[in-house]
Amino acid sequence: MVYTKKHPALLIMGIIFVAIAYMADSGSMAGLIKFLHAKKYVAEMVGMGYAFGAIGVVVGAWHMWGTHTEGNMDYYLSSIAGAIFILLVAMIVRWYLAPWVAVLSKSMGPVMGAKYLHQVLGLNYVVIGILAGIIIVNVFRIPEWAENGVRLSRLGLKTGVILLGTLYSLAELQSLGKLSAIMVGFFVLGSVGMVLWLGRRRNIPNSMGGVLSAGMGVCGVSATVASAPVVQAKAVEIAYTIGTILIWGVGCMFLFPVVGHVLELGHIQFGAWAGTGILNSAQVAGAALAYQPDGIETLKVAEIFNITRVLFLPIIVMWLAVWYVKHEGNENTAKVNVGAVIFEKFPVFVLGFILMFALSSTGVFAPANHYKGKFFDNNVKASKLLKDEQIALLTAEAPKVQRDDRKAALDRLIQNKKIMSLKDDAQIRGLANAKVMSKGATKVLKKAHKAVRHTAKKIKKFRQWITLLFAFGLTGLGMQITISAMKQAGGQPLVIGGIVGTVKAVASLIVIVLFVREVI
Amino acid sequence: MKLNKIILASHATPGACAAEETAFKLCSKNGASLYHLLVVPDFWKGMMGDDWLNNAVSQIRFGNYVENQLVQEAATELERLSKRAKQKGIPYKDDVRLGKPAECLIDACNNGTFDLCIIGSTRPKGTEGYRSRMDMKALTQSLTVPLLVIPHPDR
Repeated sequence: MVYTKKHPALLIMGIIFVAIAYMADSGSMAGLIKFLHAKKYVAEMVGMGYAFGAIGVVVGAWHMWGTHTEGNMDYYLSSIAGAIFILLVAMIVRWYLAPWVAVLSKSMGPVMGAKYLHQVLGLNYVVIGILAGIIIVNVFRIPEWAENGVRLSRLGLKTGVILLGTLYSLAELQSLGKLSAIMVGFFVLGSVGMVLWLGRRRNIPNSMGGVLSAGMGVCGVSATVASAPVVQAKAVEIAYTIGTILIWGVGCMFLFPVVGHVLELGHIQFGAWAGTGILNSAQVAGAALAYQPDGIETLKVAEIFNITRVLFLPIIVMWLAVWYVKHEGNENTAKVNVGAVIFEKFPVFVLGFILMFALSSTGVFAPANHYKGKFFDNNVKASKLLKDEQIALLTAEAPKVQRDDRKAALDRLIQNKKIMSLKDDAQIRGLANAKVMSKGATKVLKKAHKAVRHTAKKIKKFRQWITLLFAFGLTGLGMQITISAMKQAGGQPLVIGGIVGTVKAVASLIVIVLFVREVI
Repeated sequence: MKLNKIILASHATPGACAAEETAFKLCSKNGASLYHLLVVPDFWKGMMGDDWLNNAVSQIRFGNYVENQLVQEAATELERLSKRAKQKGIPYKDDVRLGKPAECLIDACNNGTFDLCIIGSTRPKGTEGYRSRMDMKALTQSLTVPLLVIPHPDR
């Protein structure tokens, strides 16, 4: 079979990317960028625009005028059209649509404390990207030429998780791993057990109980896909379960950030809650990025929970297989091959995550001395110290600071022209984030912080790529969520799923608010 | 009106079973042949949802499993109707399609020579089953064959 379609779409998308890059580079869309406050994306528009535009034009020309014969080249190059399609949608959302939503939202004024509507609802490029994907597949349908490439979104997400391994320290991984193992272990096993118990009370078939418990307990649709053949679920049971999980997952992605903002949860608390309470693993990442669009701390926590969940998947599938054979043992139920189940369901990409973490720990991405000694270093370059006029600005605005600890840290900064301790650094960052002082003075505070502590260049690049890969992956996954699949939610799975999902979300929130602190 | 060939859209739900009864009665009475259309809803194409964690082996296994389930369900249904038609001496032909029920029925009617099309009415709200209802508006706008809708037994 020849997969490549003779279609101009890829060529046109390539030209659009190049046009965006040229206009951003030449300044001809400066007015629009200023209106959207999207200056921070100009470098991306230029770099990605030219790079992916070139790929689109070259491969698009081959799609249009090349000779296509069956084989690997045809198969792999045919998927470029779908990948560029997702990327174009994701980037138009990131560069233009999401900033426009922010402009509209800001024009309405704050709605919750100092927060604007789009911040409360988490309407950023990730959530809007997923929504755009859902709208495209349900209203317009995925074009035939893009169908083969849309599946690449999975690769994008897995690569994003692998790269995420570079951002953890051993201490973080230990603390988060311990917390996630306890939380996920308790709530996964608890919800699997609860579904099976409720299923017995409501007299649902074992196959339905099995597939529903995996979906509700571990990682939503992925667990359903993995466990359905093992527990020999009937078609209608699969349809009910997946429909229920998709509706629940999409709903949670919007609801969780709002609740998080109302309760003013910290990044670790929210990441832990989303990672435990949201059924579908794709929406865990979506909710985490919705909660903190300009940083990656919440995503880091949520993804550790996601990884822990996915590591539970083979164990749960094996448990369900044994449970099903025990309860339904007849000539139709096959004997469970424990080794084969574990081997087949093991998420190989987690090994990539561990490898990147191990490489990062060697200092290959950030030199070991990168974060050390800057507070006590007397040989800090003069250019990194604050200038006299900057000191004068801080001195003039110092009376605005009310808190004694911040006042003391600011006084030391003014005296030494640089931050003098880790503790002072935390205070100065807090002062900058609180925006107590004028814009100019806050900028000076941020510069002082950056002089003693800033992200290594390679790590910064990784962060940027991770964000882009998640935006790409989640937009593509949005293109695979169909309303007709969601509409299948019903029957006993909807009732039992509703009860267990609500209990899981509320109980995990209570545990997190009571026991999880912001510092790991 | 003389009926020579009747098309029946049926997939074993209570409403469709009511339509079957009428179709068999009319075929027996008129000596007509029965053309049985069974539609497998196309929402199954999106049933892998946003799964991204599983590897290709698990996804293929799931796809094959669901496909086998649907094939078995369809085969059981076709065999049941075929047996009944044979018992009654009614010439019977079946047709299984993947798609939207209304679109498939319109297409089948346009490509055949039928005198009557029989379907069951949509099931009452709250009744369990796939959410893949017949789009009556599309059907009545495009169907070229007289349509007979049999009321659902629970109405």
